[in-house]
Amino acid sequence: MSADGQGPPAVIIDQVSKWYGQVIGINDLSLAIDGGVTGILGPNGAGKSTLFKLMMGRLKPSQGSVRLFGVDPWSSTSPYRRVGYVSESEKLYEWMTALDFVTTLARLHGMTRDEASQRSAHVLDFVGLADVMHKELGKYSKGMRQRVKIAHALVHDPDLIVMDEPLHGCDPIARTSIMNVIRELGKQGKTVLVSSHILEEIERITEQIVILHSGRLLAIGNLHAIRDLLDKHPHRILIKCEDPRALASAFISEGPVFGVRFPREGELEIQTNNLSAAHSLLPSIVVDSKQRITSIENPDDNLDSLLNYLIKEAN
Amino acid sequence: MDESGRKLSETVWTRLDRKAGAIIELTVRQLRHRVSTWVVLGVGILLMALLLVFYVDAVRESFDPIDNDGDSFDSDGDGYPLGQERKYGTPDWDPDLYPGASEYIKESDIDYNDEARTFSGNRSWDGWAFFEAKWLDYEFSGQWWEGHIDWTPDSEGLPTLTDCSDWSLDRIQNRIGWGDACDLGDGDGDGLVTYYVAGLWKGEGEATVPIDYYLEWGVWTEPTFIEPDPPEMYINEDGIDCFDSQGERVDCPAADRLSGRHGFDDDGDCTSTDYLLDDANGNGYACDVVWQSTNGVVTSISADEYVDEDPDEQEYIGELSHRTFIIAVGKMAFVILLGLFIPLFLALGLVRDETENGTLHLLLSKPIHRAEFIVYRLMGYLAISGTYVITLSLLVGVISSFLGPGEQFFRLSDLPVWLGIGVATMLVLAAYGAMFNTMGLISPKYGVYGCIIFGIWEFIMGSFSIVSPNWSVASVSISHWALQMIDAIVLMAWPDTIQWAEMDRAFEIDSGLSVFWQPPVHTFGTQSAGIALLTSIVVLASVTAAMILIGKSVFARREIM
Repeated sequence: MSADGQGPPAVIIDQVSKWYGQVIGINDLSLAIDGGVTGILGPNGAGKSTLFKLMMGRLKPSQGSVRLFGVDPWSSTSPYRRVGYVSESEKLYEWMTALDFVTTLARLHGMTRDEASQRSAHVLDFVGLADVMHKELGKYSKGMRQRVKIAHALVHDPDLIVMDEPLHGCDPIARTSIMNVIRELGKQGKTVLVSSHILEEIERITEQIVILHSGRLLAIGNLHAIRDLLDKHPHRILIKCEDPRALASAFISEGPVFGVRFPREGELEIQTNNLSAAHSLLPSIVVDSKQRITSIENPDDNLDSLLNYLIKEAN
Repeated sequence: MDESGRKLSETVWTRLDRKAGAIIELTVRQLRHRVSTWVVLGVGILLMALLLVFYVDAVRESFDPIDNDGDSFDSDGDGYPLGQERKYGTPDWDPDLYPGASEYIKESDIDYNDEARTFSGNRSWDGWAFFEAKWLDYEFSGQWWEGHIDWTPDSEGLPTLTDCSDWSLDRIQNRIGWGDACDLGDGDGDGLVTYYVAGLWKGEGEATVPIDYYLEWGVWTEPTFIEPDPPEMYINEDGIDCFDSQGERVDCPAADRLSGRHGFDDDGDCTSTDYLLDDANGNGYACDVVWQSTNGVVTSISADEYVDEDPDEQEYIGELSHRTFIIAVGKMAFVILLGLFIPLFLALGLVRDETENGTLHLLLSKPIHRAEFIVYRLMGYLAISGTYVITLSLLVGVISSFLGPGEQFFRLSDLPVWLGIGVATMLVLAAYGAMFNTMGLISPKYGVYGCIIFGIWEFIMGSFSIVSPNWSVASVSISHWALQMIDAIVLMAWPDTIQWAEMDRAFEIDSGLSVFWQPPVHTFGTQSAGIALLTSIVVLASVTAAMILIGKSVFARREIM
């Protein structure tokens, strides 16, 4: 079922393998994605970009089949009418203005010059670049460049948007702005694929995730469901404060906490086997202690530990 | 209803147009943003400016008259130019023999088997004899190797010679060699001294020739003074002559009788000399020029030697040099130089650079086939380079048409040729562009070396195609066909070019036209310039299409990382 309830689903990956000589990029992957925002998670080298390039007809699958809206993207360009692609490549035509750039690429969809120009101004406004769209791309910051790439992928109002590391190298403001854009697209009912190697980024965008590791599908489904599994696992919370020992005594009496450590001066490490319960305790204890807390970190709450856990579970 | 109406009007073609337009525009803008584009195009303009300066300096200037047949030179240094010596039949290698010089005429001889062995008289003698001298010309002397006897007299006025009066005949004949003489004294007492002489001498007396020896004698004519002609007389002294059917001299080509015998030996160096029997063109008549024409156009001129051989260049060289300039610039500067270098710098990276820059992802995520992409990129490249060469050729054409010779203020008939040169160059740019782009696709890294090797081949084959277009190996090159196009266009715009080239060749005017231009080859036996032009265009277009297809099939199978 596609997002609009008609026709074949946006993406079907059927038993696809892709190897470069001896090196395996994708290993017997099967997926079907349609509607909403999906995060493609995986460390560097997991096969995220290879998967996207297979979907965009840049690479030919060594085995299996890839279908976008039911059509093979390697042999036909017709699915691209409905697909927007934000590649990992940073290169743009530096001498063009953003409006010029998006308009030029929009015309490749067969729009007239006026149509293209209007649509481009609209999408540039949508990604928050309305006030700088007459500046040359060479003068753009990294976050602005990412947003221009997103704008060019949206200019023809596609049903499927594929974004390869759209938050990579962005400053916090650009990051927030791009995340808002992606969430908005999801709300509009588009199918959006966003890859990242940072769990926290994806978590802020969507709950629907696919986790790749070494070219294989490791997990698929709701991030919170996967998370809850992880929460049952021993977790650490690192708190930087003025008097770690006083704070430690307040925690030690509580149920989810089974141990404390003082790794460095002014640092408290709490060990828990129910992360969300520990986090819900945190605010009241901190307020009661009347201490100034400089930071709270979850060293185990990252993709690596999630992967480690999932790999362990799988075995 | 509205929706479907809009879709109907928005056909596949208009969408294609828009995509093509967008990529062509993008390509043009990209090329405009590259320094190398401006350098190459700038160098092209500079080259044309230099050639125009050369044109003004060399072609437009008046000429020193050229002595085509070299008969104004006096190679033996006797003061008479070769042309004058030819007329009088004297050789140009002997300073003693010149028009009006004293000439030896043989009278008779006594050879080894003649009965009578004595002859008396006042003569020039040449041979062996006992000579009883009444008078000797002591002044008649020359170089020793010619055998002149040295009679140098002593204080008494007698020659100083060996006394051989008591020698035997054998001894005399053995001792006295050629060019020598000896004194036998006055044996018979008649007051006349007898000498034995072997060589050349002059004098009056009685000569007795020994058995088995030879003597001839004759007289020297009186020298007459003939005014040496100024050398300038033998420059441009034999112009091109044509005659009408009544035998009246007319301007060439004689419209009422193009084919037939023409030519007149104005300076008489063909008719008056040993070359009398010269019939180089083999028509059975000496000293004439055979003109042949087809459909009112002179197609061949074949001249005997020393006829019409030194025309006044000024009359012909203006037009000849002007056409040679246009054809040479069109072939060498436009087709070979610009034709090769512009695509080398502009077309090689048309698709390859997008891959290397990482911007190809932007373009290929749009609904465009890779083959379409190649074609539109090439069209963008041609939009810049083609506009450039056609504009440049017309610009050079307009300037040279103002400067060129002729009655009219502006040579309008040159412009079709210049336009043709521009179009031929554009087709070459398309073919090379498609080929270089394909090479860049096949091997992004080493394609450039392939292009350079191919460029050298094209340069060599192009050069051969200019001087000998019939050589079939040269036709295995792109430049050959573009050069053929120019040959054909020249013939269509100026049908009398064959005649000019023939005049250049037959009368040795040496303007270069007959080197740089030859009638088109690929006419399938029809001699039609139109067919040659069409053939060349079809070949060039096919090469371009084939190269695009190869590039497409390479590119379509390529995985893009």
